[in-house]
Amino acid sequence: MPELMMQPDLSAVTASGGVRGAALARWQKSGWPGPRAEAWRYTSLARLSDVDLAPATSLAGGLTGPGALAAAGINAHVIRFENGVVDPAGMSGLPGTVSVATLDGDEPAMAQLADLAPAGHPVSDLSLAVMNGGIVMDVAGAVETPVMLMFEGDDAGASAHPAILVRLAPGASIQIAEWHQSAVGLAAPLIGYDIAAGARLEQVKVQAEGAATTHLAATGVALGEGASIAGFSLSTGGALARLETHVAMQGEGADCQLSAIYMGRGAQHQDITTYMDHAVANCTSNQIIRGVLDDSARGVYQGRVHVAPDAQKTDGQQMSRALLLSRKAEADAKPELEIYADDVVCAHGATVGELDATQLFYLTSRGIPFETARAMLIEAFLIDTIETIENELLAGLLRPVAEAWLAGKETL
Amino acid sequence: MTALLEIRDLHASVGDKPILKGIDLTINTGEVHAIMGPNGSGKSTMSYVLAGRDGYEVTGGDILMNGESLLEMEPDERARAGMFLAFQYPVELPGVGGMSFLRAAVNALRIEAGEEEIDQLGFVKIVREKAKLLGISDDMLKRAVNVGFSGGEKKRYEILQMALLEPTMAVLDETDSGLDVDALRIVSEGVNLLRDPGRAMLVITHYQRLLNHIVPDYVHILADGRIRKSGGKELALEVEESGYAGVDDAA
Ligand SMILES: Nc1ncnc2c1ncn2[C@@H]1O[C@H](COP(=O)(O)OP(=O)(O)O)[C@@H](O)[C@H]1O
Ligand SMILES: [Mg+2]
Repeated sequence: MPELMMQPDLSAVTASGGVRGAALARWQKSGWPGPRAEAWRYTSLARLSDVDLAPATSLAGGLTGPGALAAAGINAHVIRFENGVVDPAGMSGLPGTVSVATLDGDEPAMAQLADLAPAGHPVSDLSLAVMNGGIVMDVAGAVETPVMLMFEGDDAGASAHPAILVRLAPGASIQIAEWHQSAVGLAAPLIGYDIAAGARLEQVKVQAEGAATTHLAATGVALGEGASIAGFSLSTGGALARLETHVAMQGEGADCQLSAIYMGRGAQHQDITTYMDHAVANCTSNQIIRGVLDDSARGVYQGRVHVAPDAQKTDGQQMSRALLLSRKAEADAKPELEIYADDVVCAHGATVGELDATQLFYLTSRGIPFETARAMLIEAFLIDTIETIENELLAGLLRPVAEAWLAGKETL
Repeated sequence: MTALLEIRDLHASVGDKPILKGIDLTINTGEVHAIMGPNGSGKSTMSYVLAGRDGYEVTGGDILMNGESLLEMEPDERARAGMFLAFQYPVELPGVGGMSFLRAAVNALRIEAGEEEIDQLGFVKIVREKAKLLGISDDMLKRAVNVGFSGGEKKRYEILQMALLEPTMAVLDETDSGLDVDALRIVSEGVNLLRDPGRAMLVITHYQRLLNHIVPDYVHILADGRIRKSGGKELALEVEESGYAGVDDAA
């Protein structure tokens, strides 16, 4: 094990064999990535070194807070996790063709999640090993009612390890909102979305964790033939947040739209990392990333697009733009194309800029106070990204979060 | 009586380059003054200095509005005190909706005056009314500020803003440039509607033709950062005939 890093107390973990045991063994061998790990070059986990966290094992409170209001606003069915432990109340009364069962003990499902999970990511192994139960959600057909996965918890000494496998059967469709707003020490959600042929997932994620929380999300997506995902993440919370998503396009004609906005101030560190694996021909992936950084906040976007030799007619696009509001803010973008096929359309671009002084002058010359003018221009910078979300219901969840950030509010 | 705007021996630099080299100008409420001058004479610089743009540094003299110096005031404070600049090159704001922009400007004024913010429906009605007079379509009002507008549309949109903000001191920088004859007529009519005993205008132009439509009370010729000659509206015609060279020689 690497020295000095925070290690969750694993004494209560009984994973001795099978998938969980293997994950635990891998975790115990590799631990947290050290300072020389290339994938973690811009995002150091050294801050976890002094923290002593233990996976939570029991539930305390009930559904509260802005997430509950947001869920009510879109009439979503809520499945709540507190400090990483699932609240069984959300596992019944499910909409339409949705069914939910406990993940732990379901070896094939756990193997599937291990397979979907971002390879080499510490949370992929850790959260599978130390999860408390976990859930597997099956979606058999077209579901109208959105499902919200709500992650709460106020135990600053806890590390939360929700492990979730979501499987969409061929032709199924569902809207899923992930709402992460806790004050746990470490939030380490492991989520796999397996989207079978012709199925469609519309997904948004709100990351609005507390100011001291470290949020390390490992998300894996597999797309079958003609399957599609339209995903959007808005990351405003946490002291350090890394949202890492790996997408495997395994069936021809799969389509992956995966965009994100990150916003940071103070000493926040926001990281969006993606890996698009175009394993077969005729798939499209498109990513629009926008970052807004104030004070001495830092933003990172790493986007790797891999096109296998047989993946002809691949269309892979990624465009990231970061807006720095302060001289001490810093943004790094590392787009990477690894193309082994010859008939592809792939492009990436990354820009880092400041607010336009001429635009600010124009607005203030109309009597609009400087702070308002600034907020208007930041909103303008973000708005076209949110407008790419076709699903109005889900887009509506994000706007208040972005606006609250712009208004300088700590919480929603 | 205190003058509405009093410019006293104004010197200003852009970068380290002196552009305005001692301007004196007094404008009273209700008056329309025209500033004419060759390209590069400092007309736009003067308009930016009045509006308080960053990087346009006043190195000497003063600008008083209603007897109070503007120099320490930010652009938004000047605007709320009654200053308005119609830009020579209006600025495109992608992603900023026209209506919310106009409303933010009007509300900033209202908040300053201790009034309530304007309600959305009432505001849309007022904007449509004023836009119609300027030949501005509903479609244009819905778009992002100045994005995809033609040159003429941008100029009309500037006048719409002026009509909504009702400034006491309006500076119009080359509002005629890039306009065809019809557009020039529409814009001029819009401006003339806003002539008011409680408002002064400073109309900046390179060409005399605008002044056939917006007839000024006074004309000043600016060259190389100084006012070389002042007179009545007939001075504009003089320039039309003999060009700026003649004026410069006389100076
Ligand atoms: N941003 C700037 N940077 C450097 N020089 C400038 C800038 N703006 C104006 N100038 C210079 O100042 C002088 C006056 O320009 P301007 O005020 O635009 O004149 P006008 O509007 O009368 O054509 C010109 O010599 C021009 O090159
Ligand atoms: Mg000019």
